[in-house]
Amino acid sequence: MKKQTYYIGLLILATIVTSTSCKKEFLTRTPLGALSEDVLATPSGINGLLVGAYAALDGQDLGASQAWSGSVTNWIWGSVAGGDAHKGSDAGDQAPINPIATWSITPSNPMAADKWVVTYGGIDRVNAVLKVLPKVKGMSADALKNVEAQALFLRGHYYFELKRFYNMVPWISDSTKDFKQPNNVDIWPNIEADFKFAFDNLPETQSDAGRANKWAAGAYLAKTYLYEKKYAEAKTLFDQVISQGMTSKGVKYDLLPGIEDNFRPEKELTSPENVFSVEMAANVGTGSIDNATMGDMLNYPYGDSPFGCCGFYQPTVDLANSYRTDANGLPYLDAYNEHAVKNDIGILSSKPFTPDAGNLDPRIDWTVGRRGIPYLDWGIHPGRDWIRDQDFSGPYAPKKNIWWHATEQYHDNNSWAPATAINYYIIRFADVLLMAAEAHAQTNDLPGALTLVNRVRTRAANPAGWVYQYKDNSNPAAGFSTEPAANYVIKTYASFPTQDFALKAIYFERKLELGMEGVRFFDLSRWGIAAKVLNDFFDYEGSLIGDVKGGHFTAGKNEYFPIPQSEIDKTTIGGKATLTQNKGYQ
Amino acid sequence: MKLETRKLAICFTVLLFLFSSNIVFGQKTVTGKVTDETNNPLPNVSVTVKGTSNGTVTDANGNFSLNVPAGRNLIEVSNVGYGTQEISVSGKTSVGTISLVADSHTLNEVVVTGYTSQLKKDITGSVSVVNVQDMNKQPTGSLANQLQGQASGITIIGSGQPGETPQITIRGINTFGNNTPLFIIDGVPTQNISDINPNDVASVQILKDAGAASIYGSRASNGVVIITTKQGNGKVKVTYDAYYGTQRPKSGNIWNILSPQDMAQLKFNALANSGTPVSAAHPDALYGPGPTPTLPDYIMPTGAHEGDPSVDPKLYNVNPEYSEADDLAGFYRIVKANKAGTDWYHEVNKPAAIQNHNLSVSGATDMGKYFFSMEYLNHQGTVLETYLKRYTVRANTEFNVSKRIKVGENLSYSITDNNRITPGEGSFIGMALREQPIIPVHDIMGNFAGTFGGQLGNAQNPVSDAYRTRNNNGLNNRLFGNIYADVDLIQGLTFHTSFGGESYAGIYHSFQYPTYENVENASKNSYSESSYYGYNWTWTNTLNYRKTFGDHRVSVLAGVEAYDNNYRNMGGTTPNYFSFDPNYVNLSTGSGTPTTYSGRSTDGLWSQFGRVDYSYKDRYLVSGTIRRDGSSKFVNEQYGVFPAVTAAWRLSQEEFMRNISWLSDLKIRGGWGIMGNQLNVNPSNGYYTYSSDKNSSYYDIGGTNNSIQQGFQAGQIGNPDAKWEKDINTNIGLDATLFQGKIDLSVDYYVKNIKDLLFNPALPATAGRGIAPYVNIAGMKNTGIDMQLAGHFNISKDLKFDGSLSLTTYNNTITKVTESSNYFLSGDSRRFGQSINRNQVGHSIGSFFGYQVLGFWNDQAEIDAANAQAAKATGDETAIYQTDIGLGRFRYKDVNGDGQITDADRTFIGNPNPKLTYGVNIALTYKNFDFSMFLYGSQGNDIWNNVRWWLDFYASFAGAKSSTALYDSWTTSNYNARAPIQENKGYVSTNGVPNSYFIENGSYLRAKNVTLGYTFSPQVLKKAFINSFRIYVQAANLFTITKYTGADPQVGGGYIDGVSSVTDFGVDEGTYPTTRNFLIGVNLKF
Repeated sequence: MKKQTYYIGLLILATIVTSTSCKKEFLTRTPLGALSEDVLATPSGINGLLVGAYAALDGQDLGASQAWSGSVTNWIWGSVAGGDAHKGSDAGDQAPINPIATWSITPSNPMAADKWVVTYGGIDRVNAVLKVLPKVKGMSADALKNVEAQALFLRGHYYFELKRFYNMVPWISDSTKDFKQPNNVDIWPNIEADFKFAFDNLPETQSDAGRANKWAAGAYLAKTYLYEKKYAEAKTLFDQVISQGMTSKGVKYDLLPGIEDNFRPEKELTSPENVFSVEMAANVGTGSIDNATMGDMLNYPYGDSPFGCCGFYQPTVDLANSYRTDANGLPYLDAYNEHAVKNDIGILSSKPFTPDAGNLDPRIDWTVGRRGIPYLDWGIHPGRDWIRDQDFSGPYAPKKNIWWHATEQYHDNNSWAPATAINYYIIRFADVLLMAAEAHAQTNDLPGALTLVNRVRTRAANPAGWVYQYKDNSNPAAGFSTEPAANYVIKTYASFPTQDFALKAIYFERKLELGMEGVRFFDLSRWGIAAKVLNDFFDYEGSLIGDVKGGHFTAGKNEYFPIPQSEIDKTTIGGKATLTQNKGYQ
Repeated sequence: MKLETRKLAICFTVLLFLFSSNIVFGQKTVTGKVTDETNNPLPNVSVTVKGTSNGTVTDANGNFSLNVPAGRNLIEVSNVGYGTQEISVSGKTSVGTISLVADSHTLNEVVVTGYTSQLKKDITGSVSVVNVQDMNKQPTGSLANQLQGQASGITIIGSGQPGETPQITIRGINTFGNNTPLFIIDGVPTQNISDINPNDVASVQILKDAGAASIYGSRASNGVVIITTKQGNGKVKVTYDAYYGTQRPKSGNIWNILSPQDMAQLKFNALANSGTPVSAAHPDALYGPGPTPTLPDYIMPTGAHEGDPSVDPKLYNVNPEYSEADDLAGFYRIVKANKAGTDWYHEVNKPAAIQNHNLSVSGATDMGKYFFSMEYLNHQGTVLETYLKRYTVRANTEFNVSKRIKVGENLSYSITDNNRITPGEGSFIGMALREQPIIPVHDIMGNFAGTFGGQLGNAQNPVSDAYRTRNNNGLNNRLFGNIYADVDLIQGLTFHTSFGGESYAGIYHSFQYPTYENVENASKNSYSESSYYGYNWTWTNTLNYRKTFGDHRVSVLAGVEAYDNNYRNMGGTTPNYFSFDPNYVNLSTGSGTPTTYSGRSTDGLWSQFGRVDYSYKDRYLVSGTIRRDGSSKFVNEQYGVFPAVTAAWRLSQEEFMRNISWLSDLKIRGGWGIMGNQLNVNPSNGYYTYSSDKNSSYYDIGGTNNSIQQGFQAGQIGNPDAKWEKDINTNIGLDATLFQGKIDLSVDYYVKNIKDLLFNPALPATAGRGIAPYVNIAGMKNTGIDMQLAGHFNISKDLKFDGSLSLTTYNNTITKVTESSNYFLSGDSRRFGQSINRNQVGHSIGSFFGYQVLGFWNDQAEIDAANAQAAKATGDETAIYQTDIGLGRFRYKDVNGDGQITDADRTFIGNPNPKLTYGVNIALTYKNFDFSMFLYGSQGNDIWNNVRWWLDFYASFAGAKSSTALYDSWTTSNYNARAPIQENKGYVSTNGVPNSYFIENGSYLRAKNVTLGYTFSPQVLKKAFINSFRIYVQAANLFTITKYTGADPQVGGGYIDGVSSVTDFGVDEGTYPTTRNFLIGVNLKF
């Protein structure tokens, strides 16, 4: 038995030895395919983190429930919710947009959280830059400052979006440890501070067209002042931006010859109108459309059109009617719906239709795709055959987001729905001019305001920038004739007799110039006229088109979107909510 | 990692070396023969030296030869179905012929449990033993599907798709993530049994409570299934088993789809109900100006009639294999309307064949034993282009190196080719239920027809979808098994070492064809190929000591185990092919920019464990186990300790019970223990990382319009403090044998409390988009009863009856989610845009959540009254009771009684977890005939019938609709309707939000299998050198009793990213049907 005891003893010993000496290394496995913070504390590493912070601008791949509801283009939140556009498609498709369009949105609407989620995603990217920045070695002080100022510019932008969507939101900085922060402090001062730092520290030109420069920061700071109703500060700064500003590529700010030029990717690098835009790129070799306009992937004509998907984002009858001009070439600021533009509701494409022959602002045909008018170089818009459900969402098609057949390289078909390389403008120079006009009007400089508005109208009146009939309707590729596609009559304002009139004209000019660009609702909200304008819209449009019938905007509540219920839930501590719901949504 | 592996290997080699020298002690050899009552030799009978693990089995002639150590005088002879005998060998070297008496109870069965085996009567934990013969009768290649209803305590939910892994849970749902039990096949742990040939299986045991399972501590929380594969015995034996059959899809109008004329009428009704009626001034593009719809002769060109110049075939221009996106714009399609209606269900569901062939050779000599088998399975799916083809070979051998040393191996190799679909709206089934019947399969030239034109919804032609996958396939192969050695060190002390694992790899390729027939076409063509490979190994070393001192019996087990797991994958896609010829396309021949990906992961476990079993007078049994596990997935707290204790009392051995004649055996058992889990944790969970991704973190900062620059983003948000999840388990049960073994009963009641449940709750958006870490915060509780009842009766000399019932209940309750939230949402949001599953404290996982439908708003007065009530309750005169309130729409229940319907009125409206699942096996033998039937039932589970969303509401996309929508929807003359008023817009008050309209009782009882067999008598067969020959006919899924209105109540597990999920199941989205099968089969032995 002694021998056996010896063996057992040895075995136990061996067991102990093996289990203590081998386990530690065996159980240590570092992450694969990932980087640690130290590896990124280099000039190229910090630049990569900064590029990552820019990459969040488009709102894609940041946890939104849908590509479109997190999209930077705000086509749902700015345009559909603002009366510019119908959701489009048919009733059951993307149904959560219906209550957004009719302002019956609730905090648990699945899309309500998307803008919140993607925007804080962007803020997290910025904060990563700011966290690693102090550890970076081998960079000049100027270069470091440039990185920091770009990062703060982006953070300013992200918080600006949150502010105008939700009003009260928590401020998360690079030093925030606990992410369950309350929304009990107004963050306008923080946003101002970020843009101020960026304005003071950014260079006038940048190596890359997509980077923010000093003047982008200046314009955004002035826009912030405008939203805060600090008109005097806004006016001063806008004037400086208009007189001295240049693009990141060093081109002095100005308007392009035609409004449509803004939506042509081949013109963006040299465009004087580009203050700050989100860079979209098509066919980048990823086999996906995530770097192109993925957020607008549904927004192309339907039916037997050549686009494929999906008949969303249809301009409203109300928007189209706004482009009616009077004999003086000026818009009907109040009674435009009484001078409605003729449309093809109820008429089959196989039956004849003659488009409206009355006076029109030429911008209508760069903003609203309508029957009988050339649809870029895709042919004459056939009306109902390209519309998914005319009864539900009206007769029109979007246009500013559509690529030209001749520049097929900007079309990305790497998905079930198309996308393009058309940039989205966070601020373009026409917008700066109209914001400046507003600041001038608010500070009672009516002639100054008039000059600015007329500068925008003068560009619109330039026949070089109009839509013309095709030489041959059956062969659009043959180009355009010299015959305008409609009866375009547009003139500048002779004068602004009163401040009220000036503001009304400026507000209307923004609708015409920036229609279908995702800004309308935010303008209505900050002007305090959303309830009046939108309820009139629901009355008029709802009598014609099914989807917005019964819509109602509640003043004092709907000026902001609800704080997402899912975020309130996720930040509750011990049954007590950290976030406070906006007024009226509790 | 290589270095560590090698180091460990050295460590183990040292360990093994210690046992390599052979040790010899005094002993003698005893021989004998075992027969049954009628003197027929009994092969494979277990003969052991009592009180030791020394044992052997009899050969084909019933003979055995056993080494009996000095000092041992009793041998024990036992066999399933016979009474055990103890024989004294004192002073003998031969015991002559031992005749065993038939005894149908199973107490003396040897059951393989954790790292060792036990007599069933000695088991103190909760173990289900599966009747493998009954199990093997199910005509499916999947072992998991065969297990359904065959053992208590295990719940299996799956659909009829060949090769689809069902959701398998043991005693309820234990985690929010992966609930698959740990399978131990011949001692090797794995999570995958999909390619195990069920014919190779000798035994299946399910370890359900901590007492039985926590010896597998770290990974036992989901339960453990021990599978032992066959070993050879006796003379050379060749068996051939085969069946061939046909699977018949259900006939008839499965989804009650309307005819084209009725579809048009429904459209007219809905437009009229929405205030935009069809009229001469407002005609319909397809169906004319009304008042009644007229079907067109052509759907493309839209609404054209015969004779119209636009339908001249000369104009036709479609190139189905176009490669330029631009070509699409130039096509001219001509498609005739199918006025009779296309039956899309039967266009994608066709009768399909199933066949299985299995050949095995086995035998044993005194030098060792061997078992060799091969299998061919070809299970065609009834849905187009789905199938499972599998080839497996197995070789199990064992060699007696010396009297004390046995060395063996179990190895199987499988090749699988399995094309499947993921059910859901995008699948062929999902499209078949949506594609309108007026659309024909083909256009006038034989190319595919579809929704092009935009008047007929946006579904895709499911036949063309399926046809385009015809060349897509893959091949998976897997080598699984182990090598092992058993060394008897000294009397009663056995050393066992096993090194096993798996090495697997697979490849898949597919071609994406451009489409042209649909309204939403994909114009891109591309080819994709992907592959993966992985391996893992487990090295187990155990020492087992057994000793009997008088009335005391002790068994001690100690062991160490290491597990190492590695996985890699890669794949790529290239677009733009000059030719779509399958022989031409590969990743290199496309002209577009290829994209690639790859990934890998690794993790390891290191464990020590021990177990002590003690019994006194066979009456009082106690057992204790402890296991300590370390996991590489944890950083600060790598180790967890998992103890368990159990005890049992065999009352029937007590004096006061001995006189009860009908009670043969009665044992009560109880136990407590802890099991662990870490399956769901991502290997890099403990570390903060950054990553880059071309889609999300790259950006065209240069404004180039066609290129992107590298950018970085947060990767994993690390939680270095994560630790083992603990499943605290209490079990009480009894085992009884009644009427001399005619009836066996086993009942268990259990409570499982899962603490420190590892969960990765979604972080607040303010924390950014890094991957949320797993943290130990959630909790869950399961209680339930398992019962197994079996009876064996000889009704007359020729007529025998066997019956068994297994019954499983579980009640799952979430006890905690996170510090801040008492619920989390899960599952696909479907077309509601919001989740239908809410997992909330106090409710079962996967519960359905939404508004409760009370009825319809039948008149304006009702609406006015409700609005007045809302105005009163809110003090707001303009308040309305319910969003989108309207005539004929749903009236929801005001759950919180505040006078208004808000988000707060959503409530739990259904639970997909069955309250009870059961299986009944009935077998009758009359002379040479055998008849058997297996019934399976599921009771108390709800199904979310999402098919209704598509078919019962006109506004849910312009697809096909059901007869309910036209004939049983609300109108002013039909208040007792099933569906609400049909309108051209979806509303919160109709189909816009999850509500109870979609909930149905999913209970069903199904005759899974009815078999009639005939065995030829041996005399007839002898001349043909056949030992036995049985032929049978079988019908699977012969009938189903259910109130469920959908196509099939056997709805598969839910899917999240194609993976079966416990947080999203019981949802019918056009489930893969379980078909009625008719088979003929043979069992041959030579």
